[in-house]
Amino acid sequence: MNTKRIITAASSVLALCLGGMTMADAKSITLPTEAPPLKASPLPGYAKAQTNCVACHSAEYMLYQPPTAPRAYWEAMVARMKVVFKAPIDDADMPAIVDYLVKTYGNEQPK
Amino acid sequence: MNDDTNRLRRRLIAGGAGALAAAGLGALSRTAFAQAATIELPIVNGKRNMVAFPEKRPLIVLTTRPPQLETPFEIFNDGLITPNDAFFVRYHNAGVPTSIDGDKHVIKIGGNAVGKPFELTMAELRSQFKPIEYVAVNQCSGNSRGLFSPRVTGGQLTNGAMGNARWVGVPLKDVLARAELKNTAKQVTFNGLDTAVFGGGDFVKSIDVNHALDGEVMLAYQMNGADIPMLNGYPVKLIVPGYYGTYWVKHLSEIEVIDGIFEGFWMKPAYRIPDNDCACIEPGTTPAATRPIGRFNVRSFITSVQDGARLRAGQQTVVRGIAFDGGQGIREVAYSTDGGQTWREAKLGNDLGRYSFREFTFAFTPDKGTYDMRVRAWNRSGQSQPMDALWQPAGYMRNVVERVSVTAA
Repeated sequence: MNTKRIITAASSVLALCLGGMTMADAKSITLPTEAPPLKASPLPGYAKAQTNCVACHSAEYMLYQPPTAPRAYWEAMVARMKVVFKAPIDDADMPAIVDYLVKTYGNEQPK
Repeated sequence: MNDDTNRLRRRLIAGGAGALAAAGLGALSRTAFAQAATIELPIVNGKRNMVAFPEKRPLIVLTTRPPQLETPFEIFNDGLITPNDAFFVRYHNAGVPTSIDGDKHVIKIGGNAVGKPFELTMAELRSQFKPIEYVAVNQCSGNSRGLFSPRVTGGQLTNGAMGNARWVGVPLKDVLARAELKNTAKQVTFNGLDTAVFGGGDFVKSIDVNHALDGEVMLAYQMNGADIPMLNGYPVKLIVPGYYGTYWVKHLSEIEVIDGIFEGFWMKPAYRIPDNDCACIEPGTTPAATRPIGRFNVRSFITSVQDGARLRAGQQTVVRGIAFDGGQGIREVAYSTDGGQTWREAKLGNDLGRYSFREFTFAFTPDKGTYDMRVRAWNRSGQSQPMDALWQPAGYMRNVVERVSVTAA
């Protein structure tokens, strides 16, 4: 178990860089970073969601919700990110973010 | 194989950037998804990417960051043990450790209900205790959430957030004995190296002290004869056999024995179920009271035939599947080929232990026509599966009698 274990992932160059820095007996991985982006929108919450949401987690969290997800769900999630996870979301930005989310991924999407 | 061709045509849409572009995802980086295939899960909004994460074969990507990966269902037909590189992945926070020294990693044991707090390195854990070994299913609380009707929000998984592995490690009981528990001890909490990006909502779980001392709850350092993959909790993972995966803390680094009930976010309000016998309520209503999720209920799946498959009329097919429960062990699996009107007993395979997947098989020789196949298991306490799906707001614990429609021609 003392052999050096390096697992390369998406980018072999990055993995090599990290490999040079690892401890002698460490297992190291490089996680993929590319993920589906937030859906572009003219709504003002789009830019705010890019700043506040996908800084911490990838957009699949929104993208794969059932299209029946109501406004109350998106409100609860944005509030949870701030209250529980301490995401530094400006209170003034929250209504616009919720509006973008429910109209882009939830049950207020244009038919 | 007729079956395989159909499965591929139906589920695996295509590989390559061209297919992604055609599907309207052309804005994605070409380098990242040049090799990515997609899969269409049988739910509304069910298109997913298939990506190989470190130490993993291409799996269904629920989320990239933090990683949440679902096992393609076909893999459950390859054998009773789920390979490490196909085992599902579920993180809650994006501070995922990417480099860990497998010998020097330290587990701290403390809390206000121990007499002697101490630290244990992995090298000591491996050398100073007598190891135990068993096969146990790990299943995500929200496995199959995407199949709920009406739909519920949360991680939209189908049936692949489960797996069965052989675990080797040290009983938690033996480690806790060194800490000299006080008689005020009520619960034990578990934390791992994964961290929350802004510090709030660190993933910490708890179980009652009597459960922690049952001799089965294990600090595992080996999975299927190898190191645990990083994304499954290298170098040490808490194994709570029969219990949902939410308790199986990865990269275990802190154990605290406490004199109260731990109520961190991931114990309350997260991972709660309706506090009644069925853990279910009428769709759209709110439970009057909740309790932390606990043991698995009974489940069974046909694995050798996919929904929508075509079989050859007049030719015998041996249908295979898996059943499991929360630790009583599977006593019987029944099958129906007429939508549940008549049932026969399937043959059970080798018993790998009461926490393991149990194989079942039955021979089926269809005439021309369509068949609504169902399987239903019972455990040794007589618990079984509902014919119609139960509902709860968080989308946990789905265990309906599964159906597979096939056509013989």
